[in-house]
Amino acid sequence: MVSYTISGMLNFLTAVLAYAILQVALRFKDDADLARRLKAREPRAMEDLYDRYGRLAYSLVYRVVRNSAAAEDLVQETFLRVWNRVQSFDPQRGALGPWILTVARNRAIDYLRSLDGRMAAGALELDRAENPALFSFDDSALSIDRARRLKTAFEKLNPNQRMVIELAYFEGLSQSEMADRMKQPLGTVKTWVRTALKALREELVEATGV
Amino acid sequence: MNCGDLKDAYELYALGLAEGEEQAEIARHLARGCEACRNGVDQAMALNSLLLGVSEDVKPRARLKRRIVASVRGKHRSWTWAGILAAACMLIAAVWLGEQERQRTSQLVDTRRALIAVTADRDRLAACLRMLDEPDTMRVGFGKSGPPHGNVFVNGHSGVLLIASNLPKLQPGRMFEMWVIPKGGSPRPAGMFRSNEGGTGFNMMSGPVDVASLGMIAVTVEPSAGSAMPTSQPIFAVPVAGL
Repeated sequence: MVSYTISGMLNFLTAVLAYAILQVALRFKDDADLARRLKAREPRAMEDLYDRYGRLAYSLVYRVVRNSAAAEDLVQETFLRVWNRVQSFDPQRGALGPWILTVARNRAIDYLRSLDGRMAAGALELDRAENPALFSFDDSALSIDRARRLKTAFEKLNPNQRMVIELAYFEGLSQSEMADRMKQPLGTVKTWVRTALKALREELVEATGV
Repeated sequence: MNCGDLKDAYELYALGLAEGEEQAEIARHLARGCEACRNGVDQAMALNSLLLGVSEDVKPRARLKRRIVASVRGKHRSWTWAGILAAACMLIAAVWLGEQERQRTSQLVDTRRALIAVTADRDRLAACLRMLDEPDTMRVGFGKSGPPHGNVFVNGHSGVLLIASNLPKLQPGRMFEMWVIPKGGSPRPAGMFRSNEGGTGFNMMSGPVDVASLGMIAVTVEPSAGSAMPTSQPIFAVPVAGL
């Protein structure tokens, strides 16, 4: 099974989840003031933004590209993109951290795709997915309680489910591409993706009693 | 498709990974303001954000922060430096133009002063010549026994003219002052003058004079501002009584 060949990596992922997920939830708070300062082009705001999200973004990008020089370039590109597009961001309703992580992830996925000739296929979708106007959801969705529940749900996923989540989130593969990579029927992959996301989603929904 | 058919694809849609009809249908629902899909995608983005933040913590090199901050400040700085450069150029141009104007003004003032001096000399010389040309002008020579020597011209209508040569060299801040001394009276200032490089100078006290009361014409060296009374011994004194 393909899933057993990467089980070590997934176990490690689970081990760091508890600590990291709490850090993410905490960092996403109180971004409104920082966003306002970025929009006002305060010179110190970029330093504060990096202090808050630089390491997180770098860790994410490095996880995707596994190359420190490329990761540095991509993180720099991420922060410049945020700086240049922050005027479209609503600091009253926006979630700055999720936006930065999405931009960072998309820069890294775009880089991976450029390496293996997949660039043109999804570049437009990635660009659409990081539109700052999309990141206007209630950041109570990023509470610590929800983070804990997500961690619990993730640990309960089976190896195939964790594998497809990994491929989607950190390699940018569509379900069709996952099927090719894993040499599994598309229907099977879709089932793994659907059940994995359903489990994670339900934990988050239950956390807020929705 | 209805919203229930799409709910399993929200996360992939938010990641830019939804495919085919699912991707197009969610986009259509969002475009027409479908609240259920909007809420579903929002929740999917929250889930995605939490998952994306779960990575092994890797510390970037310190220079990355410097690079990023510098790249943003560089954009500002390019404008800032451009502004500073423009302001500096304007300041230099303003200073240069100001200095040019100051020099032109200074030259103009000097020229006007020189013109006034030349005009005054011309007027004085003209007055001297007129006086010398008048038939009732009287002359008294002096210095036959030694320098300085010259002539004093007296005219009751025009005044007193002194022309002297072999005058001593003046110290800085000093000038010659001519005195008109009435018979039995005190010296009266009659004008300041300098000599040329050859030691020749002249001075004219213009205006009517009472020739009969004149006793003597004398010259002393005085401060440039002039003195109300002589402060040094006369260089020479020319008796003019009895003209």
